[in-house]
Amino acid sequence: MYKPTVKEMHSFWERKETCNPSSPSKKPKPPKPQNAITIAVSSRALFSMDLEQDIYEQQGMEAYLSYQFQHETEPFAPGPAFPFIKAVEAVNAKLRELYPDGEELFDVVLMTSNHAHVGLRLINSINHHKLFIERFCMTGGNSPIGYLKAYHANLYLSADSVKVREAIEEGIAAATVFSPGKISEVPETQLRVAFDGDAVLFSDESERIYKAHGLDKFFEHEKAHENKPLDHGPLKGFLEALGKLQQKFYAKGQRMDCPIRTYLVTARSAASSGTRALKTLRSWGLETDEALFLAGAPKGPMLQKIRPHIFFDDQMFHVEGAAELGTVAAHVPYGIAQSGKFKFGEQFRQV
Amino acid sequence: MSRHERVQKGGQPNSDEKDWAAVKALYDDLKTTKKPRPPKPSNAVTIAVSSRTLFNMVKERKVFEDEGLERYVMHQLELEDQPFTPGVAFPFVKALMNVNARLRELYPDSEELFDIVLVTNNHAQVGVRLINSINYYDLTIERFCMTGGESPIGYLKAYMTNLYLSKDSKKVQEAIEEGIASATMFTCDNENELSDTQLRVAFDGDAVLFSDESEIIVKEHGLDTFFEHEKEFENKPLAQGPLKCFLEALGKLQRKFYAKNQRINCPVRTYLVTARSAASAGVRVLKTLRSWGLEIDEALFLAGAPKGPLLIKIRPHIFFDDQMFHIEGAQELGTIAAHVPYGIGQKYHKGKRIDTSDVEK
Repeated sequence: MYKPTVKEMHSFWERKETCNPSSPSKKPKPPKPQNAITIAVSSRALFSMDLEQDIYEQQGMEAYLSYQFQHETEPFAPGPAFPFIKAVEAVNAKLRELYPDGEELFDVVLMTSNHAHVGLRLINSINHHKLFIERFCMTGGNSPIGYLKAYHANLYLSADSVKVREAIEEGIAAATVFSPGKISEVPETQLRVAFDGDAVLFSDESERIYKAHGLDKFFEHEKAHENKPLDHGPLKGFLEALGKLQQKFYAKGQRMDCPIRTYLVTARSAASSGTRALKTLRSWGLETDEALFLAGAPKGPMLQKIRPHIFFDDQMFHVEGAAELGTVAAHVPYGIAQSGKFKFGEQFRQV
Repeated sequence: MSRHERVQKGGQPNSDEKDWAAVKALYDDLKTTKKPRPPKPSNAVTIAVSSRTLFNMVKERKVFEDEGLERYVMHQLELEDQPFTPGVAFPFVKALMNVNARLRELYPDSEELFDIVLVTNNHAQVGVRLINSINYYDLTIERFCMTGGESPIGYLKAYMTNLYLSKDSKKVQEAIEEGIASATMFTCDNENELSDTQLRVAFDGDAVLFSDESEIIVKEHGLDTFFEHEKEFENKPLAQGPLKCFLEALGKLQRKFYAKNQRINCPVRTYLVTARSAASAGVRVLKTLRSWGLEIDEALFLAGAPKGPLLIKIRPHIFFDDQMFHIEGAQELGTIAAHVPYGIGQKYHKGKRIDTSDVEK
């Protein structure tokens, strides 16, 4: 290991003394958890660790740890959630410009069940990609769910569906990220988040009716209960958090080039069942910038046009369709779409 | 003639001798199966606890302070048969016994176990009540040092103590100055439910596991200089702090479980809960631990976030920190916290330097 000499240590302090002691901080301070929008991301979602994961699964823990140790100075390649996190940091930079002392920012926490040994490679990778992730929880194999709650996590992204399911059951907005088939370019200056409607923003009550009684009954029911807001789904809180930050930009007259844009991409049909969705959002005081009612059309091509940094859906069919065309899609394991196969429509494959 | 003389004269042992020999053989064969023998101090991980940390003696303490020593001793004698209620270090000691039980299962003849010693200023007369209480709770504490008012530091050294817990901060300070890992415990009002099967110990980083060299830089030169300094000297291991050896001792016992393939349900789990920022200052910490050959099961880098909420998720049996600010934060949420009075953190309270020169005037 390189050990600096006494002379080098002295020269460090000489340099320090000549520096202006009241110069502003280069690295901003992370915000307090209760003020910030905390996004917890796992190491495999942030970085591409497929090779290492294979080693772990085939050769065991010790081989995995020694591989990571040997390649410690090699930074990881970006993973599926990487563009999302980069965009989140761009938003933070803009927020700091407008509100230099504000604590209502995004706070990214690395939540991994990796061992502390792998921590060095992760830190090196984070610094190499110039990310700003100062909070780590390396749980060494234990479940991270408790720490998520302690950090008031507003969103948890992981490649491990078991942990995501656990988090959803505990009431934390969470989704399993998958790598897209091909990489499509996403904007660097604007964070774009796309949400499915039922069982993501809203509860799965309507989807149950559709699955059990068919499309017509579903339309009737939605029209009859048009003015009754739907119950909220697992990601409603995250949309709310994004809305709060958007308001900060609107307050400074930046609605037109707001660096956060939200999209509703739903298979619902507008005229037959769209009203209830929009009225529900209104009753919650939430907005989405764009709303796309597809009436059953495939979501992939639409998403290609939107180019979101992340798209949340509860059905693997849509997640896979989006990923095939290059969108980073995340699966929200909630609601009736998760269990068993369905009778209606060839478009719903067996899950 | 005694039996001994008879045998010495080379005579044949008669039936009396046979009886004696048989009984002697019987006693020799009798192993204490109920209570195992305490290990030798050089082999064991010795934890010294004071009576006030092991048991709740708040009322008795009040009697001592208000009415004096004689009345205090009389009071204790009167209540001799009433066991004390558990104190703040009690869950920790119970968890240590659990680990010992598991170690004995795997290594029946090994002496590498936890050994608990009761080190107390109390008068020997109070010892009876302490012994009754210990037996009432089925603890295995066979070694006592009742110093009757004298300093226990010498005894701590003689027992090669790996950790000393007391409520008296002066003794703890003395112990730290003598190089013994030591921490002050405080009464905790609402305690969270702790694990029965796994001993969990959480450590702060700077000035607890590591020396306070980096904390000095933060306090005197600010956060930016600290980040630069840590990055530049990333590969130079930090000097060790007062509790490094205790982590080492825990690691030694952990490896005994790993050797028997019990890594997943190892009954000892260690946590690093540091206010450091991972990307800016985390590398040096991890490399230092590695250079010492020590492992830690979970590492939480908080970048300044409050430690309290994370600690209640961990639910450790004990949490060591050098700054009272963090100790108080942890206790507010029900975590058992112990203060390590070492380093520059003692001269600051909530970020402001305490001017001790005024106090002396």
